[in-house]
Amino acid sequence: MTFSEDKPVMIEFRDVHKYYGDYHALRGIDGTIKAGEFFSLLGPSGCGKTTLLRTIAGFEGISSGVIMIDDRNMAGVPANVRPTNMVFQSYAIFPHMSVAENVGFGLRRDPRTKAEKAAAVEEMLAMVGLTGYGDRAAHELSGGQRQRVALARALILKPKVLLLDEPLSALDKKMREHMQVELIKLQRQVGITFILVTHDQEEALVMSDRIAVMFEGGIAQLADPETLYRRPNSKQVAEFIGTMNFVPATILSEVGGKVEIEAKGLGKVTLDETQSPPPRGEEPVVGLRPETLTLLFPGQTTSERKVDGLIDEVIYFGDMTYYDVYLGGTDVEVRLSMRNVPGRPILDVGTRVEVAWSPEALVLFR
Amino acid sequence: MKDAPILRSYAVLYLIFLYGPIIILPMFAFNDNTIVSFPLKGFTTKWFAEMWSDPNLRIALQNSLIIALSTATLSTVLGIFAARASVRYKWPGKTAVVGLIMVPLVLPEMIVAMALLVVLLSIGVPLSIFTIIMGHVLICMPFAVAILTSAFQSLDRSLEEAALDLGEDAWSTFRLIVLPLVMPGIMASFLITFTISIDEFIIANFLGSGKPILSVYIFGQFRFPAKVPAMLALGTLLVAFSIILLTIAEYFRRRGVAKTGGKNSGGFL
Repeated sequence: MTFSEDKPVMIEFRDVHKYYGDYHALRGIDGTIKAGEFFSLLGPSGCGKTTLLRTIAGFEGISSGVIMIDDRNMAGVPANVRPTNMVFQSYAIFPHMSVAENVGFGLRRDPRTKAEKAAAVEEMLAMVGLTGYGDRAAHELSGGQRQRVALARALILKPKVLLLDEPLSALDKKMREHMQVELIKLQRQVGITFILVTHDQEEALVMSDRIAVMFEGGIAQLADPETLYRRPNSKQVAEFIGTMNFVPATILSEVGGKVEIEAKGLGKVTLDETQSPPPRGEEPVVGLRPETLTLLFPGQTTSERKVDGLIDEVIYFGDMTYYDVYLGGTDVEVRLSMRNVPGRPILDVGTRVEVAWSPEALVLFR
Repeated sequence: MKDAPILRSYAVLYLIFLYGPIIILPMFAFNDNTIVSFPLKGFTTKWFAEMWSDPNLRIALQNSLIIALSTATLSTVLGIFAARASVRYKWPGKTAVVGLIMVPLVLPEMIVAMALLVVLLSIGVPLSIFTIIMGHVLICMPFAVAILTSAFQSLDRSLEEAALDLGEDAWSTFRLIVLPLVMPGIMASFLITFTISIDEFIIANFLGSGKPILSVYIFGQFRFPAKVPAMLALGTLLVAFSIILLTIAEYFRRRGVAKTGGKNSGGFL
């Protein structure tokens, strides 16, 4: 994914700190968000992602550091003149106004004529698929419709940056998945920088060009979804995004970025520098995703490396089956996932199997 | 409830005791007899005419209306400031200040009235309608603040942020978003403080220095048995006026609820 590489910078953070009294909510945020990018701030609750979003919007001041939007320092620039608009978690639809009045609210100070404004409102309603809803009262709308009104209302001012604060968290699963796709389409259509705050890693992976994973007020890793998933730079990130097995390892040698290790149950492996993020002084472990491991069914061979295993647990998911397997006669247990394709049996607990794996799938955390 | 006849009769008796005496008011106001006692004699409207022919009543009514309207306006406006400040902002001494505003609620009114009288006289402020208004604002503030605080509390903060975000400044956000949404609270505060003020007796008596005020006037008239039917006529009008006022308030409250799609819970009627 090289989408973001050559784009101009839209937002830049330089050592941004934010204190609430003694509480250090943002602890030195650095990084850039590119123009036209779909960017996500991902992290558990309390990690500072919403605070960071609100400092971009101008609802929160920062204690130190610099936030630049479109090459302008935002220090002292109030929310109502920043080139950003926000879709709130609660949608914040004005309850005493109609849909059209809500969407057109931002045009109050616009010098255009009434008819031109009404046309702009209609255009926005059409864009979010709410043509003909203009006269409805705000409270007559469903959750998904309210969300669309909030989007239309924020986009009518043609902001440089659209901020979305957990906009899908109030919707049910089906609607959420539907809106994810709609949001991606909408973002491509308008070409505006979208910044999404979410605690749902799947949502972030699906929607974003790049993701900043945040823990305890800092950005742990800023990367595109694939890198984040395949090459997490810490155990914490690896655990937060998807499922990952951790296998104890010992470091044998380290030459020019290549690290040779002995992973318990797997044997000796040489890892390149992308598989070995900077050390953090932890016990060395290698991480590997469940889908990078394959059970070999009788008669199957593999070009990858393989290891003996003993099935300890079988978890049936319909489209997938998860197996918990002891590796190579050790007490190291990993979880692996197999797609349930026709003709493939579900194996029983206690079955001796072979597990194929690829050194390329490993990441070393130490 | 069907299976609890005792509870049901208790409830019915309770309501009769509560509202029964008020029904006596119009009964005798239209009764053609100076003595307020059963049996009723005949229908008449002469007590209303007699009541209205007393110029003192008209002065008292005018004074009371001035006092009640000023009190309701002042305490509601001040209540808006206080409620907004206590709900939205953090500042040192907030708990103490809000607590002190609420104190008159539990302070005997007699003591408030005496204390105010002593202070006003000692610093040489002449007693007037204005001093009564001041006293009334003092005792009405807790009600206004309590009602308005709950109105402001139910306001989603992100609505204001959304308006700011869409280009409005703090004042226009307040005018376009906050004010319309707390309007039912403002109406309720205005009506309740108005009602408290118009029938308040102790402060009006202490700080009015004998000026004709409705409550003081009525109390004075009750000393003359011949005047009682006329006062009952006045009372009848006041009851009718209260019902009209509450109906109007309830109409606006329901319309507000319907407009914002909230669930209609509670209310006066």
